[in-house]
Amino acid sequence: MRPVAAIFNLNHPAHTVHWHFFQMSVSNIVVIVLMLAVFVIAILAPFPGHRQGGGGS
Amino acid sequence: MSVTGERSWTGRVREHAVAALPPEKLLPDKQPSYVASWIYVFGVLSLASLAVIIGSGTILTLKGPQWWHFTGVGHFFNSLHLWSVELFFFFMVIHLWGKYWMAAWRGGRARVWVTGAITFLVAIPCALTGYVSQQNFDAQWISTQAKDAMNSAGIGAFFNLTNFGQMYSFHVLLLPAAVVAIVVAHILLVRKHGVVPPLEWREMAAKARSPERTESSP
Repeated sequence: MRPVAAIFNLNHPAHTVHWHFFQMSVSNIVVIVLMLAVFVIAILAPFPGHRQGGGGS
Repeated sequence: MSVTGERSWTGRVREHAVAALPPEKLLPDKQPSYVASWIYVFGVLSLASLAVIIGSGTILTLKGPQWWHFTGVGHFFNSLHLWSVELFFFFMVIHLWGKYWMAAWRGGRARVWVTGAITFLVAIPCALTGYVSQQNFDAQWISTQAKDAMNSAGIGAFFNLTNFGQMYSFHVLLLPAAVVAIVVAHILLVRKHGVVPPLEWREMAAKARSPERTESSP
């Protein structure tokens, strides 16, 4: 095996999730779930160097 | 300057530009306190990704497919180009979600929202033409599959995915130029109107409960 090969074995057809009308590759689902997770973290995580004020702006 | 005393078009353009975007608005050194949130970071992350896309793409264009397919450094820049595109869309989608849920078209910012949406729409064919410009079997597969979508939409004669020359021109010149131009307009509009403030949920809830609204409602 070459030392710079992909971390995951990509030498196969894509895995897909198929449920009724819904069909999507696992890689696309992983990306969408990651985007949702980052979106939620971006809203909730405190911003460095910024103290939360008690009142409105 | 005109010798007849009439204002030249350059003077009029300058006056309009400075009136719309005075230097302190164009290059501000302060931002409102509400910008100190991670959700406001994804616009500039998209811009940073776009800069890497343009830089790596320029190098790939100069070196050519033999280089990006058969050399180690070529593989690296090929991967850099791919993953910067992946991150560009990743960050842009989170930026889009953030701005959608804070109704970023408020306060006369409709054009800011529209230019952002158009950037997203133009970036999609920009990426598609990149996939079909790889010069490998993957590109052939994608082009022969995607051409059916173009033909069924009635634009196959003008946008032929199996025509490598046309796709490559779209990918390295026309569509990137369009994306960059719209992004520049988007940023200038953000500078002009300022960063949209977050929605004030307490005020909105109080308004919804206010007696005036209760009386006027049917």
